[in-house]
Amino acid sequence: MTPREELAALLSEEVGDRAGGWDLAGAIPLETLRRLGTEGVLCAEVPAEFGGRGLSGLDNGELTAHAGTLCSSLRSVMTSQGMAAWTIQRFGTREQRAKELAALTRGDLAAVAFSEPQAGSDLSAIATTVVDDGDSVVLNGHKVWSTASAYADVLVVFGRYQDGAAAVLVPTRAPGVTVRPVPQPLGCRAAGHADVLLDDVRLPATRVLSGASVSLGLLTTIALTYGRLSVAWGCVGIIRACLTAAATHARAREQFGKPLAEHQLVARHLAEMYVAEQTATRLCEHASGCWDSRSAELSGASVLAKHAAAGHAAHAASAAVQILASAGSVDGGTVARAYRDAKLMQIIEGSEEICQLILAERALERVT
Amino acid sequence: MSNPTADRQLTAEGVAAELQKFLRERTKTDWEPDTDLFASGSVSSMFAMELVVHVEQTFKVAIAGPDLKIDNFRTVNAMTALVLRLARADDTA
Repeated sequence: MTPREELAALLSEEVGDRAGGWDLAGAIPLETLRRLGTEGVLCAEVPAEFGGRGLSGLDNGELTAHAGTLCSSLRSVMTSQGMAAWTIQRFGTREQRAKELAALTRGDLAAVAFSEPQAGSDLSAIATTVVDDGDSVVLNGHKVWSTASAYADVLVVFGRYQDGAAAVLVPTRAPGVTVRPVPQPLGCRAAGHADVLLDDVRLPATRVLSGASVSLGLLTTIALTYGRLSVAWGCVGIIRACLTAAATHARAREQFGKPLAEHQLVARHLAEMYVAEQTATRLCEHASGCWDSRSAELSGASVLAKHAAAGHAAHAASAAVQILASAGSVDGGTVARAYRDAKLMQIIEGSEEICQLILAERALERVT
Repeated sequence: MSNPTADRQLTAEGVAAELQKFLRERTKTDWEPDTDLFASGSVSSMFAMELVVHVEQTFKVAIAGPDLKIDNFRTVNAMTALVLRLARADDTA
């Protein structure tokens, strides 16, 4: 087995038939996440020199899609852990990379905290402050909807610092940190979404990634690019799960004396879902190819993949519920989860509208 | 990547010329070596990341940690200095 296949098998085994139960309970058992973390599944791209599995972007993408077919809540936890690891890998000093990435491949859980009550799509409005005080920094702010933060040992918090910005590694147990789970999220219900309050949180200055102020735009764009790719592949997983469920049902269920699949209007749904799966997969493969080859095209390709995959996932999930009808309309079930989870994918890591604004710029560049 | 020194005859002029070519292609504008790319507001964060990735790929350098500060990408001259410094550090590593 390749390393990717080995990790995929591990995911299948850990999830088993429990995803529906996790969705209904709104939580994944912490020991499950720790076990997967210890095996390096949650951030499988971390290089071997830091204790990780060193998967390529493409292999990690397919692994993420596999997680997405099983459980989008777990996949969201992977996205968070992976984004935290990537931010540390890019912005951390040599010492920070060695120490912190090793922790994230040994079972420690991490999340990232971007959004605030007044800073959603407009991250330039981030108001969380990081202030120098001798050998310490002091953080104050309010973060919202930080996925996986309810499970996390450490948060990568994005805030204003000196004349720019910084990402700071904040232990969730540090005095002044309050993690307040979102009571009943619409989708990815077991992903540990939470608001985070930072009240005079004092940490050693060595917790500031790179030890210096950086540009907020560059910082968030680089971190979010990993997240966009991860969400895009997760959406491929949602589409695949929906397609399998719908095709299985359409073959087995008979109405008017023949299987649903032989009714043309149902067959069209299946064809459209198949197109969605293929289209989203190809766009994700292209974007991950750009990632692996360090192509400058990456920034646009990742937005395109995320936008298209999320839209396709939302349509495919809706079609799957339509085909399964009453059999799909039970909470916790595969297509019911997909229906709710896919909607959130059209919102996070760049809403539909933000992605469209970026893609429209690409369109206009052609004629300047 | 395995033998970075073999084709690593980087000169300031060569690096600057390549960067100006890339900027011209992507922004349809000519950039003086000391013009602030970000001052006008026409260059976005998305493009800043494109620059990072492009510089890494083209000159086979890894830019991480404190080197990712925006000042290193603000002008053609700043990027050229960064590339030459990282390439030298690589060669002596």
